Amino acid sequence: MRQVSLIAIALAGSFTAAPLAAEPLKIGIIESLSGAQTSTGRMFANGVHYGIDKINAAGGFNGEPVEVVEYDNAGGPTEAADKFRQAQADGIHIIVQGASSAIAGQLTEDVRKHNIRNPGNEMMYINVGAEAMELTGEKCHFYHFRYTSTAPMRVNALVATMKEQGKLGSRVYSINQNYSWGQDMQAAVKADEQMGDYEVVGEVLHDVNKIQDFAPFVAKIKAANPDTVVTGNWSNDLLLLMKATGDAGLKVRFATAFLDQPGNIANAGETALGHYIANAYDNSAADSSFADDYKAAKGHFPTFVEPQAAFAIGALQDALASISSDGGEVDVTEIAKALENTTYESPVGPISVRKEDHQTIRPVVVSQVVKDAAYPADGTDMGFQMVKVVPGEEAIYPVQPSCEMKRPD
Amino acid sequence: MEFFLISTLNGVIYGLLLFMVSAGLTLIFGMMGVLNFAHASFYMLGAYVAYAVSSSAGFWTGLIVAPIFVGIVGTLVERFLLRRVHVFGHAHELLLTFGLALIAEETVKLVFGDFPVNYQMPDALKFAAFTVFGTDYPFYRVFMGIVAVIMFVVLWLLLSRTRVGIVVRAAERLPQMAEALGHNIPVVFTSVFGAGAALAGLAGAVAGAFYPTNPNMALELGVIVFVVVVVGGLGSLQGSLLASLLIGLFSSFAVGIDWSAADFLALVGLGEEARSLGGLLTMQISSISATIPFALMLLVLLVRPAGLMGERG
Amino acid sequence: MARVLLPLALIGAFLLVVPPFLDLGWQNALINILIASLFALAFNLLAGQAGLLSFGHAAYFGVGAFAVLHLMASIEDGLAFPTPLLPLAGAVAGLLAGLVAGFFATMRSGVYFALVTLAIAELFHSLAPHWQGVFGGEAGLSSMRMPWGGIVFGSLIEVYYLTLAWVVLSILLLWGLTRTPFGRLALALRDNEQRVRFLGYNAHISKVIIFAISAMFSGVAGGLQAISNETANYVLFASAVSAQVVLYTFVGGATIFFGPVVGAVIFTLFAYLVSDITHSWLLYQGLIFVLVMLYAPNGLGGMIHQHLRHREHLDWSRLAPPYAVTALGGALVTAAAVFLIETLAVLFSREYEVARRDAGGGFPGYEVFGLDWSPLSPLPWLIPLTLFAAGLWLILRARQPITLLWQQVVAGSVPGDSTP
Repeated sequence: MRQVSLIAIALAGSFTAAPLAAEPLKIGIIESLSGAQTSTGRMFANGVHYGIDKINAAGGFNGEPVEVVEYDNAGGPTEAADKFRQAQADGIHIIVQGASSAIAGQLTEDVRKHNIRNPGNEMMYINVGAEAMELTGEKCHFYHFRYTSTAPMRVNALVATMKEQGKLGSRVYSINQNYSWGQDMQAAVKADEQMGDYEVVGEVLHDVNKIQDFAPFVAKIKAANPDTVVTGNWSNDLLLLMKATGDAGLKVRFATAFLDQPGNIANAGETALGHYIANAYDNSAADSSFADDYKAAKGHFPTFVEPQAAFAIGALQDALASISSDGGEVDVTEIAKALENTTYESPVGPISVRKEDHQTIRPVVVSQVVKDAAYPADGTDMGFQMVKVVPGEEAIYPVQPSCEMKRPD
Repeated sequence: MEFFLISTLNGVIYGLLLFMVSAGLTLIFGMMGVLNFAHASFYMLGAYVAYAVSSSAGFWTGLIVAPIFVGIVGTLVERFLLRRVHVFGHAHELLLTFGLALIAEETVKLVFGDFPVNYQMPDALKFAAFTVFGTDYPFYRVFMGIVAVIMFVVLWLLLSRTRVGIVVRAAERLPQMAEALGHNIPVVFTSVFGAGAALAGLAGAVAGAFYPTNPNMALELGVIVFVVVVVGGLGSLQGSLLASLLIGLFSSFAVGIDWSAADFLALVGLGEEARSLGGLLTMQISSISATIPFALMLLVLLVRPAGLMGERG
Repeated sequence: MARVLLPLALIGAFLLVVPPFLDLGWQNALINILIASLFALAFNLLAGQAGLLSFGHAAYFGVGAFAVLHLMASIEDGLAFPTPLLPLAGAVAGLLAGLVAGFFATMRSGVYFALVTLAIAELFHSLAPHWQGVFGGEAGLSSMRMPWGGIVFGSLIEVYYLTLAWVVLSILLLWGLTRTPFGRLALALRDNEQRVRFLGYNAHISKVIIFAISAMFSGVAGGLQAISNETANYVLFASAVSAQVVLYTFVGGATIFFGPVVGAVIFTLFAYLVSDITHSWLLYQGLIFVLVMLYAPNGLGGMIHQHLRHREHLDWSRLAPPYAVTALGGALVTAAAVFLIETLAVLFSREYEVARRDAGGGFPGYEVFGLDWSPLSPLPWLIPLTLFAAGLWLILRARQPITLLWQQVVAGSVPGDSTP
């Protein structure tokens, strides 16, 4: 890969009789494979590998097996930019990434600029986990596909389901991280006040993954006396928040987005029982065929973000199968158009792409933490039990006016 | 009222924790003129060693082994590394400790992984010490405070009432004179360095079970500890205690205060203008609570570098 | 003179002619090397020449980057400013920030100076994520280079030549500065500030000016990075960035002009080549730094310079054998360290933990360097041990002859030439 390409071209030119081989499809996983979000990044990568293995088991694409390269962005947008350059140099066609909306913001812009500067040699970005609204808003472009939910989708699902169950109450507190995702969550909670028939009694945005002690925030929550606390926090921020709540003996229901991140249940212990989560998939929400197949391939049941990454590649597989490849060069624009028209049947429902902003319309699973769960988490006896699968059309949010997508035709 | 009380309690305890770490640093600087960038790494090592030991031998064993281990590491570092570069000047010593901090962080990442580890307090300590206004106050926080207070008392007694303490204080003031009187000053320096490291290690072992134990803890705490020793006065133990409590209380209260400069200006009728200007003026104190200690450190360094209780010059 | 010009000319020719033939990854690496070199040289103006150790130089690098990005965004919106002149914004921002920061920082000296610079950088680092208008919050700002004068600035090679031009210009200016009386003043301030004051100079103002110039060129370096990446993020103010430039400068050698460049090239190249192979490369970086601090206090550049200065008196026929022995010993010790660290990295990794769990708590085999090993056999432990012992023995054996030879060299050289 790191050769002096002039010599290579000169050598290649001398073999004029050799037939041109079909170009293999190259997928680059630019993920947080070191740094604080390593475990999440690794899980996205696992899901992608699972999906790619399935594609290759079915014969690959364009007559060749699909190649996968991993790039470590070390959890930061600057390194992600460097690794994107490397991916460009390596001839990657599709990049996949999911951990961190900040990195997604960097990569989607990089892809957009690359496509402007290299017409005919486009790259595509399949976003399997970054949920900031701006990615399908201000920063939307034709070659980005968001194969995950967003804050409004999760909050809509949570509010509707918890209200149905009578567990929402009329006083809601929202605590989130102060960046695009957290700000989106806060706005979504505020926006659903009418629909959910509640009042937002307090909202707070705090530093991302810097706060060591959430006791002051718990004190604020207690002072507001809510029935439910909605939070999009992840990693340490969620863990410490639950820990501080438990320490203070505060009895309040949590509605979360990332409670199923490995380690949370073990750390929160019994205080986690009864809390809600809205996500893309739960093992208890579908028949066991996907879960068993994943376990056979990877050695453990699909957890946290692995399923949604696998589904995205599953959709890619369907899209690739619909293209008649002639064994020449890979045409990324053609793949993108095919992906737009692909509806993937995931174990919890159909996932389709909305053409206006490339957001997938997908079901949102709302679950609750229960004891003696069918799929126990973190080696405890607790786990998640599906309460409701909210269909895509009910959970989806309207297209944002800030998205002005330029189509290639 | 509840906010005030809880914030005070939290602030005092966080301040005492800061003191546990900064005590060693300020002593070492006062005595040897070396600002040890790796001091917070001793804190981190203490937490990780306690985690490793406690996984197999229990929390209390970890609590005892960690400071001893870290103290030995500190002694070896001083004896074999710092002393070597002493001849090249203060800048080189500073740089060396800097490099050691990097190595410590990377070694921890190598062995334990680049993510937080599950260092938990023992179940025996997981209860509420008391209930104030309906909120439980976890006993472990009180425990941390108790350990810090015991440490301060022991240190103070050692320094002021024992022979060893007198020699150490003499070595801090006039090392050549003390050496002329027959005391082995290099050994004194090494032992003080080792003791300072052990204290930081103990702080890590105690705090790591409450706060997240991750490879960034040295960096996060390290900068605040510098603020503390500068504000308190480099070399002064009492100053260090005072500054730790000050910063601890401030950090604790600031998180709950949502006022901004614009709100203060509103008191004199300039609120609208301030809000329209935006930027720094509309930032809430709770958001910039991490920034203010640095502003304080800058202020102290520029106005009164001796700090609150350090000696002038 | 010719001895200095020839290698410089060769390097210059390489940098001008070869890059279009390299792949994008290497072009990007070269851009990063150039930027790192400029940053290190700017830092060394303050640290090595004026003797003021700054631990917060990331502040001026970052300020430069953000200033350039804002200007880039304005050009994108229609401002008629030539794209190649973008780094000027970085220079101006760095200069202004340096003047203000330097005025306060240089009121103190030594450790206190270092702490003030640290506090200033941390002030930026903690404030930036909250000041969304200027710094773009957590995600930072992004923009796009606009074409100018017929050049699109779309491909990386064009960015490379722009970076090269600016870095060469800046280095020439910095070099020129050392040749002026003011440059000499900087050295004098490092050696004896009191004497400088007695000579009638205002030491404080002089130090502020040096600080500001150092910050200005750091701003240019930051601006170049903003141009290359088309983004700026508050993490540019992190202490890791300040730490990197300190590492580059002191490993390369703070006492000679091109020393920091040596350090910057080595570390950036090292990071590019090694960072995807092993996760422990930061550990290697730290170890190299500490070893250089302990055994080569003037850095690698300083060592090279030492040899160049005494080249008339060096008897290579007697020096070469112990040097070769030391090099061999060093290679063995390095191999041992790398073997051990990579082995430990695998044994402590999550994947191995899973493998152990699958093996029911035993110690299954693992793979490193393409070969399979078992942690229970003595082999993977004996290999690094023997390599280390052998290497250490060789180094210690060669130490005495080298020390003796150098004592003779220094004693035998012309008096007045042996100032360190």
